[in-house]
Amino acid sequence: MSQNSNGTGHEHTSREEDNVNSRRAFFKNFGLFGAVAAVGGAAIYSGYEYQESKPGHDMVKVLTSDNRIVEVPRDQIKDVKVDTDQLQKQGREGLKGHRFVMVIDLSKCRNARKCISACQGAHHLRPYEYHINTLVMQESEHTAPYFMPKPCQHCDNPPCVAVCPVDATFKRQDGIVLIDNERCIGCRFCIAACPYSARLFHWEEPLMAESDKGKPYNIELNVPQRKGTITKCLFSSDRLREGKLPYCVSACPNGVYYFGDENQDAVTNGTTKETFRLSELLKVNAGYQLMAELGTKPRVYYLPPKNRLFEFKDEKDPVQETT
Amino acid sequence: MIKRYFTLLLIVLISIRLSAQVWVVPAENDARKSPFAFDDASRKAGSEIYMTSCKSCHGEPGKNNAVPLVPPPPDMSSVRMQANSDGAMQYKITNGRGTMPSFKNTIATTDVWKVISFVRSFNDKYVQEVAAQAAGGASVANVNIKLNWLKEQNQIQATLSAPSKDKGILPVGGAEVKLFAKRYFGNLLVDEARNTDAAGVALFNFPKDLPGDSAGLVQLVVALSNEAFGDAKRDTTLAIGVPTYRPPLNEQRAMWNVVSKTPIWLLLAYTIAVFGAWGFIIYVFLQIRGIYRAGSEKNTESAE
Repeated sequence: MSQNSNGTGHEHTSREEDNVNSRRAFFKNFGLFGAVAAVGGAAIYSGYEYQESKPGHDMVKVLTSDNRIVEVPRDQIKDVKVDTDQLQKQGREGLKGHRFVMVIDLSKCRNARKCISACQGAHHLRPYEYHINTLVMQESEHTAPYFMPKPCQHCDNPPCVAVCPVDATFKRQDGIVLIDNERCIGCRFCIAACPYSARLFHWEEPLMAESDKGKPYNIELNVPQRKGTITKCLFSSDRLREGKLPYCVSACPNGVYYFGDENQDAVTNGTTKETFRLSELLKVNAGYQLMAELGTKPRVYYLPPKNRLFEFKDEKDPVQETT
Repeated sequence: MIKRYFTLLLIVLISIRLSAQVWVVPAENDARKSPFAFDDASRKAGSEIYMTSCKSCHGEPGKNNAVPLVPPPPDMSSVRMQANSDGAMQYKITNGRGTMPSFKNTIATTDVWKVISFVRSFNDKYVQEVAAQAAGGASVANVNIKLNWLKEQNQIQATLSAPSKDKGILPVGGAEVKLFAKRYFGNLLVDEARNTDAAGVALFNFPKDLPGDSAGLVQLVVALSNEAFGDAKRDTTLAIGVPTYRPPLNEQRAMWNVVSKTPIWLLLAYTIAVFGAWGFIIYVFLQIRGIYRAGSEKNTESAE
């Protein structure tokens, strides 16, 4: 017992000594810091004086968002900081009061592949990486062949979302199924679950990995793309936010695509920009959905390839031919 | 001699080939002229329309980068394109043929003339002929459109009038008017285009099943685009549509939804399974403890 009390007494005195030491050390350091601050401040000030006294700034011509060319000093240029949290939040929430739908008229498609190149340009994909692809279809030997553009169907009962273990892929209130490349762990369950083969995995470094480095990640554009994660058709949700039609829809030269809002019962043709009643268009042309029997409830409708406007030549996939 | 025959044959062949593709424009349309003189403002407006509606096929003017369709869409600066009269261009843009879509319902009549004004800027030799009535400055501007909703008949009544120099305000008769409902990506043509009668009145039947917002509000646009009367537009919002509210698509309980939207059966099954498993483990543990206790009680009894 006595030994114990001695021990604690000793500890007590040493702690007091420590306190004294630290106080002394603190003042010593403070003095040192003060001196450093004074010298540093003087140096910065003289540098500032020098900058001010310089005869002219190095001017740079800049194009403003309202299309004016203005000159600004090079050292005054600052990078615009994009609020990435806001991008994530708005990307998760989606657009209120909308239910986006796409209608694809197979009778008009003649494999111009403008939709594909516009999409790949927007999402920084290689020519063989497809968010949307036009497939060469023939049901059987004696039935008519046709071209079928196939994007993600943005199902209302999405099997891909159900299997995602990390909530990386999700469905928004406006019906769009998105993928968050920052959450994706690359397990590829969703690829296995999707009956439409709408998803693609970045096995290699994405096309513009170098130039996209450090850019803020936009969940509605999937740019910058990431190696080891999934990417898929996004219905161009960044364009929909601005009230514009998706990249593929507005790039089509043949009037294949209609895009619109089911809540407003209206779809707009990407080529002519003419707006139609969705219900009427589907009724008159006997619109159908792809593999609706699976219960996935797709948001993409197809109009059958009757009265095709074009001869079907035995064309091969031009990309596969060149590669 | 043979060479001359060959050239002749070539010319005949080419002309046959061309005549097979000739797009016949009615003489009346071919002779039409723009109601206004082309200027920088019309060229600029036309260029904007061109870039959104025409560029995807015809490419950028002068760059010959049109999409290779059959028949090929000509470049704006090409001889073939510039050989069209103003009226022919107006007819072709409005009506379309084959792969060239009709822009009747998407580009207003005066806007079509603006596009032509832009197209003509790629032809140095072009000299414009303005339509006679417009050149005389006799066109009626400032058309006023009044909108009435006839609720019983479910009709929209548009009344057009314009001030004149000596007779006060006069009705505008015989002018084509269109009624549109605003949608997210464009304007939906409601009913067909109507001509105003002598009293300047046009009646549109409004469909009974057009969805509005949650209160049934629909934004309507009545547009007049006429070469003689100029452009006029009138916007209004009426509770004429079917009140539509559809819940967000991610609100239901489903397997694919977030944790807080788990299906009830899954929630119950999971909870019961977890509690059941732990309950069983605890039950076994309690039983073992009971056996142990019973055993130790007997031991003390036997020791005594």
